Amino acid sequence: MTGAVFIEIFKQTWKQMLAWGLGLAALAMLVVLMVPLFDMQDMKTLLESFPPFILAMIGVGRDLEVFATNEGFVAIGFFGKSALIFAVYPVVMGMRITAEEEDNGIMDVLLSLPVSRAQVLVEKFLAYCVSIVGVVALIYLGVGIGDSLGNVGLDVGRLTEVTFYLIPLMIFVMAATMLVAALARRRMVALGVITAFVVASFSLQTIGLAAEGTVAEPLGTVSFFSYYNAGDILREGFIWPHIAGYIALSLVMLGASLVRYERRDVGV
Amino acid sequence: MAASSVIDIKGLSKIYGSGSKATVALDKLTLQVQPGEIFGYLGPNGAGKTTTIRVLLDLIRPSSGSASIFGMDARQQSVEIHQRIGFLPGELSLWQGRSGAQVIHYIASVRGDIKSIVKQAEELAARLKLDISKKVRDLSSGNKRKLGLVIAMMHSPDLLILDEPTNGLDPLVQQTFHELMNEFRDKGKTVFLSSHVLSEVQAICDRVGILRDGDLKAVQSVDALTDVKFRWVHVQFRDGVPAEVAQGLRNLPAVSEFNADGPHARMRLQGDFDPLLRTLGAGYVEQLHVEEPTLEDIFLAYYSGEGAGA
Repeated sequence: MTGAVFIEIFKQTWKQMLAWGLGLAALAMLVVLMVPLFDMQDMKTLLESFPPFILAMIGVGRDLEVFATNEGFVAIGFFGKSALIFAVYPVVMGMRITAEEEDNGIMDVLLSLPVSRAQVLVEKFLAYCVSIVGVVALIYLGVGIGDSLGNVGLDVGRLTEVTFYLIPLMIFVMAATMLVAALARRRMVALGVITAFVVASFSLQTIGLAAEGTVAEPLGTVSFFSYYNAGDILREGFIWPHIAGYIALSLVMLGASLVRYERRDVGV
Repeated sequence: MAASSVIDIKGLSKIYGSGSKATVALDKLTLQVQPGEIFGYLGPNGAGKTTTIRVLLDLIRPSSGSASIFGMDARQQSVEIHQRIGFLPGELSLWQGRSGAQVIHYIASVRGDIKSIVKQAEELAARLKLDISKKVRDLSSGNKRKLGLVIAMMHSPDLLILDEPTNGLDPLVQQTFHELMNEFRDKGKTVFLSSHVLSEVQAICDRVGILRDGDLKAVQSVDALTDVKFRWVHVQFRDGVPAEVAQGLRNLPAVSEFNADGPHARMRLQGDFDPLLRTLGAGYVEQLHVEEPTLEDIFLAYYSGEGAGA
């Protein structure tokens, strides 16, 4: 029956979604509660004394004006710097689409049922996309609760776009994980490759930022993290070409995974 | 005849790897399974039984040849075929954190007719004395196997494909399993089961295919296969094997491959026990043990011309 896999995956995943969402929400809340501890004007003066490459490396870069606001502190200090943490959940979920169940033999049972491989992949992908939305919504809730508890006076509305911009980023990471798993077959191989990809991307982004104005700067552009810039989002709102890029690449990777998974042996 | 076969495999080969690392798992396998029969797919571990089953289920793709079930191509029409089959894998893995009832409900929901499938699953679970309220991770291997059987049979499939179905089942449950299979056959349905246990195949199968190194050696009725008429006899004497007894046993036409080691003697007996027992009488026998031929013995006997029909 169409939708049965989607519903079951959601039943199996909601607790993990809640755990991850609440954990990240707690982290967000903590960062928000820290805001009153800093005088943003002093912070700005202090940061202005830093060499530009240091500012770039800690993710502030040319966003000093933005960073020295309550919302900027949360956007860049939490959302910008925690991008690597946000990539962990979609990797875990992406591994579950095929690699984990293939490795432990569950996929044999599932694919012996009247359901196509494509249907299994698409329904699982969609279910995990919903769980990503759930995690991000909980993070947003964490920001809001932190603001209320600490009476911080954040303009939470300005952080809405920074928060929900995480959704296409996380879906992109999950799609990449799914593709690697479809290609690599073995869970551990897939996990190793996707971990290397994510860490390398994060490193390239950092190098690209630190090397602003040098020949190494373009390195940052090949990192998918570079298209989630909390400072830019806070200034400009949703950057639609970047979002469209994440979505388009995710769909391409979903399609490539379907083609590859349809053609190869399962569980060998 | 082939058109009415439930399973029709033609020239099926499966080669893993390539070049010097290529391994032939199946070699031009051709086999038909007829409606209403319990077909035993017999062979030692690594013979290619599971590979055949995985091709039939479209989990792996053949290197050459074709397989069809109910006249439908196993690859192109796998979803339609899977609607009518039940499958129990050799190594069953299920969702550890879900209860048996939840797993049953999930699989029933994929199959579509949740209410009637779940009802039948509960009846089967009761027959197999399986508590489906327990989480999968808390089930013993035998109970997990029972759950696998329930899942395979709960939607009343037309064809059951079972890979080593009684692995880990205690003898009482094996008996229930045999009853279930016979009832299944009585309804005109078909069973394709793989095994390396001869007694299991003898107990329930109508016909047997013998697979070895990916090659189907023969398809026989069970009676013909097991009519090899030899046994292994182990004798333990109190004071070593007496020389006259050893000589007498060697001279018996029915005894071959005689081997004495200290107080122990092992021999192959073809035919009646009486001449052997009379010869043993000259010594003091402490223990006598008769061993049924193994599947490997039957293979060897069969191909050396001593087996059924030979």
